[in-house]
Amino acid sequence: MKSIKYLIALLLLLITAEGYSQTAPAAAPATSAQDLPSIMSWLLGIASGVLFIVAMIYIIKVNQFLYKRVIALEAQKSGMLLPSDAVPVVAQPVGDDFWTRMRKKYWEDPVPIEKEADIMLQHAHDGIYELDNRLPPWWINMFFITIVWAVGYMYYYHWGGNGLSQKEEYQEEVEMAKKQIAIALAGKANSVDESNVTIVSESSLVAEGELIYKNSCAACHGQLGEGGVGPNFTDDYWIHGGGIKDLFKTIKYGVPEKGMISWQAQLKPGDMQNVASYILSLRGTNPPNQKEAQGPLWTGDAAPDTSAVKTPGK
Amino acid sequence: MSNIQQFQYDNRITRAFGTASFVWGLVGMLVGIIIALQLIYPSLNLGPWLTFGRLRPLHTNAVIFAFVGNGLFMGIYYSLQRLLKARMWNDTLSWVHFWGWQVVILCAAYTLPMGLTTSSEYAELIWPIDILITLVWVVFGINMFGTILTRRENHLYVAIWFYIATWVTVAVLHIVRSFELPVTFTQSYPLFAGVQDALTQWWYGHNAVAFFLTTPYLGMMYYFLPKAANRPVYSYKLSIIHFWALIFIYIWAGPHHLLYSSMPDWVQSLGTVFSIMLIAPSWGGMLNGLLTLRGAWDRVRQDPVLKFMVVAVTAYGMATFEGPMLSIKSFNAISHFTDWTIAHVHVGALGWNGFLTFGVLYWLWPRMYRTDLYSVKLANTHFWIGTLGIVVYAIPLYFAGWTQALMWKEFTPEGTLAWGNFLDTVTQIIPMYAMRAVGGTMFFIGTILGVYNLYKTAQKGNFLANEEAQAPARERHLAAADSEHWHRWLERRPMQMLLWSTVLIAIGGIVQIIPMVFIESQVPKISTVKPYTPLELTGRDLYIKEGCVGCHSQQIRPFRSETERYGEYSKSGEYIYDRPFLWGSKRTGPDLMREGGKYPDSWHYNHMLDPTTMSPGSIMPAYPHMLEDALDLSDLPAKITALRKLGTPYPRDFEKYAITNAQEQAKKIAANLTSQGIKDQNMENKEIVAIIAYLQRLGTDIKVQPASEK
Repeated sequence: MKSIKYLIALLLLLITAEGYSQTAPAAAPATSAQDLPSIMSWLLGIASGVLFIVAMIYIIKVNQFLYKRVIALEAQKSGMLLPSDAVPVVAQPVGDDFWTRMRKKYWEDPVPIEKEADIMLQHAHDGIYELDNRLPPWWINMFFITIVWAVGYMYYYHWGGNGLSQKEEYQEEVEMAKKQIAIALAGKANSVDESNVTIVSESSLVAEGELIYKNSCAACHGQLGEGGVGPNFTDDYWIHGGGIKDLFKTIKYGVPEKGMISWQAQLKPGDMQNVASYILSLRGTNPPNQKEAQGPLWTGDAAPDTSAVKTPGK
Repeated sequence: MSNIQQFQYDNRITRAFGTASFVWGLVGMLVGIIIALQLIYPSLNLGPWLTFGRLRPLHTNAVIFAFVGNGLFMGIYYSLQRLLKARMWNDTLSWVHFWGWQVVILCAAYTLPMGLTTSSEYAELIWPIDILITLVWVVFGINMFGTILTRRENHLYVAIWFYIATWVTVAVLHIVRSFELPVTFTQSYPLFAGVQDALTQWWYGHNAVAFFLTTPYLGMMYYFLPKAANRPVYSYKLSIIHFWALIFIYIWAGPHHLLYSSMPDWVQSLGTVFSIMLIAPSWGGMLNGLLTLRGAWDRVRQDPVLKFMVVAVTAYGMATFEGPMLSIKSFNAISHFTDWTIAHVHVGALGWNGFLTFGVLYWLWPRMYRTDLYSVKLANTHFWIGTLGIVVYAIPLYFAGWTQALMWKEFTPEGTLAWGNFLDTVTQIIPMYAMRAVGGTMFFIGTILGVYNLYKTAQKGNFLANEEAQAPARERHLAAADSEHWHRWLERRPMQMLLWSTVLIAIGGIVQIIPMVFIESQVPKISTVKPYTPLELTGRDLYIKEGCVGCHSQQIRPFRSETERYGEYSKSGEYIYDRPFLWGSKRTGPDLMREGGKYPDSWHYNHMLDPTTMSPGSIMPAYPHMLEDALDLSDLPAKITALRKLGTPYPRDFEKYAITNAQEQAKKIAANLTSQGIKDQNMENKEIVAIIAYLQRLGTDIKVQPASEK
């Protein structure tokens, strides 16, 4: 039975390890969740250590048992009397073996139910009696360990160790992220910005832009770009300029005083490029319920070439 | 033993509290189901009175103070009399206590939906009700100590130690948390502001869990579990050690609600280490409960009372292990502000408090009605549907908490948030909210079955109002007998017990709060942080009234994922004029610490009218009444005067100009709205301009250039 228990524990451990190894790569970019994997690996390490020790103890015990059994069988065969057989069982003082003694000392030591009258307190409260069992050793040991841990924690973070304050932790996290981003962005197309952005015309990219538009922009600018809280995208009038670079800039930094929020924390540069391209493709589509024109008439450079951009899904 | 005395136990008061407990329990759980459904169907937020923000505190207050509150009084009034061999000291006081408590509950049931609230979690009730609570609590104390002092039993049993600690600690917590300056009959400002208010709040809030939901129920467990199991308590030594350790350590752990906040690091660390040290003392109670059942486990299979108690004690053990784990900073960084916390508290509330209450009710009712339980089968059904309900409630929410936290923290390799739109992280977990509502409904159905079962039991039985008992008068031998345990000495002296409990629970609070209040350097000042304008203040009070803090935090933690999403992390110096503090403890919606300037006024106007127009799929309630209700500025002079008394540096005589000042700012905002295309008239006289003024101010002070640097 016992071995089955261990087997199950091992299996569970493997499953968690498996899950862990699967989630690890996905979680890697999430640097702020870094604590989690490191804790998981610690827990895993400790758990496997404990499991190893338990397994060793178990193997030793099985060995002992088998050894005794073999000796007994040998003795039976040869008709020899073992010293233990010579002594009547009842007379033998029931000395606890090493493991039992350890268990009683450090783990649990309840007085058996048959003998509990010996440790029952004299007085009852409304018929409730109290036993005077020892404090469960594992419990009181756990209490001591947590106290030692608490002192260690305070030492490490406040009284002398080099634990980071939360401010220092934050600074470290930001530094790490900067490096990782620099690596990730090295030589990538996503480094488009308002100085070099161009209209994309691949229909797949424009379709991506449309998806972003429906999710994030349509609430204020209308499902068809007809305008609402925000201005109309289908006419020729633009408050902040109607070129791709102007539009990219408006999306990226927003115009907070007029209510356009900044999207650079939410959208990647490529996404902003796609959505800006999609928006420019709406020009002249003449949807119903258009908002009145706002801003000056746009005659600038990057007037979209509507012939080049097919509006998908229309 | 010639001087045997005859007396009677009062069962009527026990029955009254028990009945109140399950009636209010049904109400509280029903409100819980309603708010759970509101998260899935926002259209269920009816009118101003039944919105999530106002109902959530009604739910928490109803289950904590009405369901569990009446439950613990039921347990105490029954067990105290029998453990002391005495009737309650004064029947009139018993009934004043009972009806006083019900009046408090009715006041709460009226004021909270009306939006009359202090917004401090579990201390939401306004100051007149606070005073009423204090009076009722004093009546309860006099009655309890009167009974203790006129007892026929020399020694106090462990259950009574817990009752004594409960009484004194709740009194201290309630009084300190209610340090507030009344402005009107329904409003007050707390003595402390910002960080200090936050610390006081979570010292209170955490220990309301400790000394209202835990210690009295441990006392009840020590009486009803051995009674129901008919077994001796496992270890007297364990009772002693875990009792004293528990009450001493518990009080320190409050700051674990404020990890990674603007609270100084050392306070947070104290919260963490004392929470970890709390594992063993908490588990002491669980062990003494479970080990008492040694030799009675066969009966656990048959007796629904024992079944409920075993699950209760086990849930207690799970929750008191999980709590310390969540107090470790790296776990807390994930769990905090998510539904994980909600799952955690419900394992405690439904499992520990709920199931222990049911166990005690099922044990008490047949005894008081001198009959058998109407249906054991029905009680077993209740047990299973309730247990499954807890599981179906908690597991999806654990999952929801993890999911949401990981989404909040995920970055793309390019360094932008993977889920930049907060709403995506909400819509993702709505299926789990639906499962939670199913779990809660199962638990509720179980409770209905329980109530029906108890009702039928009462019907077939014959109530014993006054139970005859006899015992010898108390012999006052105070001297120590030979070879007795040292603790016996204390058990004969209830006043010493009270004194030492008070000393132990006072230490933790004093060490944490006093330095925070008196040491200026703990809260570094920021020169650009200024008091709120009168209109912003009015808006802030509306924010409090609507319970916005129930879903929106105002505390940006120092994580890159939060500073990217919300802006610069929060500094303690930014909150020095925040009375009360509004950090919040749950983000069902995004943090609003730096909401100011993020959106135009018109965005807020439209968003309040119908959040889904600005954020499609939003589950926030709509607040159309804010666009219609007249802006009431009449209390402003009183508010300004009160805040100045508390230390906010408003200029002299400012209260005289406060209303004019507010009207001017209101006109500006209304003009702004008009220029942004809002067509409504007379907007400057509506509540909406005040809430916009407040939201636009939030978190902007540190962005102002100090005058010297301009």
